[in-house]
Amino acid sequence: MMTGPGAPTHDPRFEELLPAYALGALDGGELRELEEHLATGCDECRRQLALWQGDLEELAASVPPVEPSEATRRRILRLAGSAATARAAAPQRPARRTLRWALPIAAVLALAVWGGVRQARLVSEVGRLHAERERLEQQVAALDRELTVARADNERMAQALSIITAPGSRAVQLAGLGTTPDALGHTFIDTRGRRAIFYAFDLPALAPEKTYQLWWIAAGRPFSAGTFNVDPHGHARLQIDRVDDVDKIQAWAVTVEPAGGVPQPTGEMVLKG
Amino acid sequence: MDSLPTHDVTLVSRIASGDGDALAAAFDLYSPAVLGLLSRILKGRTEAEEVLQEVFLQVWTQADRFDPQRSSPRGWILMLARSRALDRVRRRDSSRRREEEVAVDASPAALRPVGTERLEAVERRRRVLSALGLLSPEQRDCIELAFFEGLTHTQIAERLKAPLGTVKSRILLGMNKLRQALSS
Repeated sequence: MMTGPGAPTHDPRFEELLPAYALGALDGGELRELEEHLATGCDECRRQLALWQGDLEELAASVPPVEPSEATRRRILRLAGSAATARAAAPQRPARRTLRWALPIAAVLALAVWGGVRQARLVSEVGRLHAERERLEQQVAALDRELTVARADNERMAQALSIITAPGSRAVQLAGLGTTPDALGHTFIDTRGRRAIFYAFDLPALAPEKTYQLWWIAAGRPFSAGTFNVDPHGHARLQIDRVDDVDKIQAWAVTVEPAGGVPQPTGEMVLKG
Repeated sequence: MDSLPTHDVTLVSRIASGDGDALAAAFDLYSPAVLGLLSRILKGRTEAEEVLQEVFLQVWTQADRFDPQRSSPRGWILMLARSRALDRVRRRDSSRRREEEVAVDASPAALRPVGTERLEAVERRRRVLSALGLLSPEQRDCIELAFFEGLTHTQIAERLKAPLGTVKSRILLGMNKLRQALSS
């Protein structure tokens, strides 16, 4: 208890605030006033506050205990162990200094390492899940592409079949010429629907700046049916959705032209029929 | 304030001097009570175990701040734990906080010793629980909301939709009853 002229005066009205203050429930003006009063160093209030805090410690201990997991225990013991190791690694320092500096630092480092390892594990798990999701997304996208291709193939086959089997359908065979004597072509024309489909076999691949161009010749004039390139097996397929003057067509031919095609044939003729 | 054997006090001074075995012993001795308190405040086992580690790290690094004149080692550690847990609760999004209040579990199972818990601790807990039983439900609710949820007078009044003055007097009367029951 402080005594003398400068000693703070105990004010009993603050006593009623002490239990709530110990609980942390005091707020507003009461909290401010009590803290100002405690700051004056009132020993009686401090003594009473300590008693209330003691009661609250009892309250804290009244909660049913829960046994910690073995993993938590191991981490704490590892923490203690790593600090002991840190102490052993610095024997040249005076013991007191070592305890005051090395141990807290080692403990913080150990926690940081533990936290880092935990963080790294989480990051790694998140990374794994991201990679897995990405892999699944790629798989779905690949399947989607395959499905799209299959649908398109199916559609093309259905259209080709409808042309080939249409009433009044005609077939024209094109034979290889010049440098491509083994090449072969087939054109099927749906004369009523004015549609046609062309297949090429065993044509050589062209340089990128070149393309094959299919023509039909009617009344002595060539009409472009479109350009195409061959696959690695030398195969190609071209569908013509609009064939004019079907009845006047005299021949079908394929020439090699600059990429993009030309209005009139200019290059070597490789197929004709 | 409890009158624990000097063994407990020397345990803390051994921790302060960097004795890892003392930290392990303190963990075995106090961690069930600390984790019980943390689980009650945080209402989640995983988070409670995380804070338990933080608490013992704090014990390890700040054992030299322990004042045997002011509290027992157990009380000191429990109040460190309460303070850390309430900090966490306050940081949480208020929408995540559970609204329901958890009554003190006074079932016989709660009085069974856990791990290395001493019989004195079991007896002490029984005494506090019976003291709490003397409080009116309203007084107990107010004290528990302040102690386990960190609410202030005003917040308790809002939570319970009760007048502020009523809440203040419930806390004051409840705490006094608790004191009487504990000291009898």
